Amino acid sequence: MMAGTAGGMHLWAIATASVVAAACALVGTLLVVRRQSLLGDAIGHAVLPGIALAVLAGARPGGVAVFGAAVACALVTVGLVQVLRAVAGLAEDAGAGVVFTSLFAAGVVIVTLGASRIDLDASCVLYGILEMVPFDTVPVGGVEVPRGFVSSAAVLAALVAVAVPTWKLQVFSAFDPDGARAAGVPVAAVTTGLLAATAVATVAGFEVVGAVLVVALLVVPAAAAELLVHRLHRVALLAVAFAVGGAIVGYLLAYRWNTSAGGVIAVVLVAQYVVAALLAPEDGCVAQVAGRVRFAWRVAREDRLAAVWRAMEQRGTPAGPRSALEHLAGWWLRVRGRIVGAASLSAAGRREAEMVVRSHRLWEAWLGRHADLPLDHLHPPAEWVEHHLGEAARRRIEAELEHGRGDPHGREIPPEA
Amino acid sequence: MTDSATPSATGDRPVPLVEFHDVTVAYGRRPVLWNVDLVIDAPCLFGIIGPNGAGKSTLLKAALGLVPLVGGTVRFAGVPLARARHTIGYVPQRESVDWDFPVSAFDVVLMGTYGRLGWFRRPGPAERASARDSLARVGLADVADRQIGRLSGGQQQRVFLARALAQEAAIYLLDEPMAGVDARSQEQIFDVLASLRASGRLVVVVHHDLRTAAEWFDRVALIDMRLVAAGPTATVLTPDNLRRTYSGQVELLREVGLAVAERGRTS
Repeated sequence: MMAGTAGGMHLWAIATASVVAAACALVGTLLVVRRQSLLGDAIGHAVLPGIALAVLAGARPGGVAVFGAAVACALVTVGLVQVLRAVAGLAEDAGAGVVFTSLFAAGVVIVTLGASRIDLDASCVLYGILEMVPFDTVPVGGVEVPRGFVSSAAVLAALVAVAVPTWKLQVFSAFDPDGARAAGVPVAAVTTGLLAATAVATVAGFEVVGAVLVVALLVVPAAAAELLVHRLHRVALLAVAFAVGGAIVGYLLAYRWNTSAGGVIAVVLVAQYVVAALLAPEDGCVAQVAGRVRFAWRVAREDRLAAVWRAMEQRGTPAGPRSALEHLAGWWLRVRGRIVGAASLSAAGRREAEMVVRSHRLWEAWLGRHADLPLDHLHPPAEWVEHHLGEAARRRIEAELEHGRGDPHGREIPPEA
Repeated sequence: MTDSATPSATGDRPVPLVEFHDVTVAYGRRPVLWNVDLVIDAPCLFGIIGPNGAGKSTLLKAALGLVPLVGGTVRFAGVPLARARHTIGYVPQRESVDWDFPVSAFDVVLMGTYGRLGWFRRPGPAERASARDSLARVGLADVADRQIGRLSGGQQQRVFLARALAQEAAIYLLDEPMAGVDARSQEQIFDVLASLRASGRLVVVVHHDLRTAAEWFDRVALIDMRLVAAGPTATVLTPDNLRRTYSGQVELLREVGLAVAERGRTS
């Protein structure tokens, strides 16, 4: 039976995708912060034989038995990885690679062999059948509701119901397992719970985006959120928001372009990640580039002012700019009135220049005293340290230097402004 | 803790705060700590000193049940770990933690209250207040909301100390709290530890720096795969004991340990 009109069908598909995305992002956040993202991938694949066998044995797709079989498969996967490590000395990532591909392959074989008898085909497992979700409904309180929505909403409700009271245990176990164990937290049980939750969320994700792209729902929104906020509950909430937003936008775009909803949803999630990586306020690419440019510009301005100041001190002509940026800085300082005429400074320009020269000469004096370096070794380090010394550090160095106001070259160190 | 006040059955001596009895610890099959007998009677600042790989951290982890005992027992005020857990505050080594993890300094300190909350209760106003007080005690109230990885090494260590304070424990076990920490943070950490001692707590510290050990600790244990000596700092840190701890006399213990691990025989 179909769920209402064409518009209504789309709404049901979007609602289902959103609920699944939220469930996956919630679980995925915990995997990502534990640096175990690929475990989601492994479990996502390894549950297939469980699902296939359960369905072959007569379980209804999306039913409780299927979820149970998937959880069992997930735990078997993790158990086998541990066994491989203990018995064969296989590293955990390689072990996971061996186990989940074997189980997935077994699942594919079972699905293909049983294709005539079960309502499950390989391509829908791989790519999902979000578009078909509204066609399979069950009556809920007199309304025809897609079966996929009912099961995934139940999954989300169960995950939230478990996550809220046990969140603190997840945080503690993930951040500091030794400390958590010492405080009496049942770390092994907490981890097993997370693996079971991953299996359940993954099975819910199968229908929407398929076994391969469910990893995108688990990992990508959490990875994007982690770039932007720095407390776990905020990461989780933002990841859920990203995932739901990605599901809605992805579905609409897929409808518009008449292509696979699962594929476009994953593309939208990745696009969100790219934007987050570019624009993250502290660690984003744009912020980092901007920081470097700002610094280079400050260095160029300070170098130019110091060059003019030194020329004034020695009654000579200033050394020429050493880079195009410094050239530009010289022009800008003239426009702003800091540099006046050929080699003269305004009062403000003079103060700024004096602090650079002061930092430079203090550093030379300090190095000369503490590092026992020959005179010609003092200038190069001072050339870059001069841009990094603050007022407090300058005063500290000055207090430490006993002899007069001169630097090792015998030149005067300007006083603090 | 009624147990701590009860005289032991064997005499009128009070039950020791911590008692290692014939403790042997192995990683896998390889023993790394042999037959340790160590009794700490009264609250004090207690240092566990020894060279790298001597099993100092292992001793703490064994006491906390983080590594299994091959033999022997550990009792806290006369009761086993399972009944004493809530009375013990633990500060793990810095390396055991992922510093990029999305938690704030405050979140980390709040973890100290989780033990007494049980598995399902969420931290409330009382726990938050306790976490804020603990952060203030280590002088970090102003960086409470900072992500833990954005603090300096010394500040991170103080956050962990604050977490142990929030636990309101009777016994504190700290694993190398002074490692990778600037001099000012060291002083601050030491001041907090001294104030814990002053309020009647036992503070056990794994420490590698002999120079500061002599001035900081009331009592010490010298360890190198086995207990070399334990007691008041002045009587234990003798040239003879130090030579026995640091001169690598344990080569035989290492060889036997490897032989046990490989089911073989020493040469």
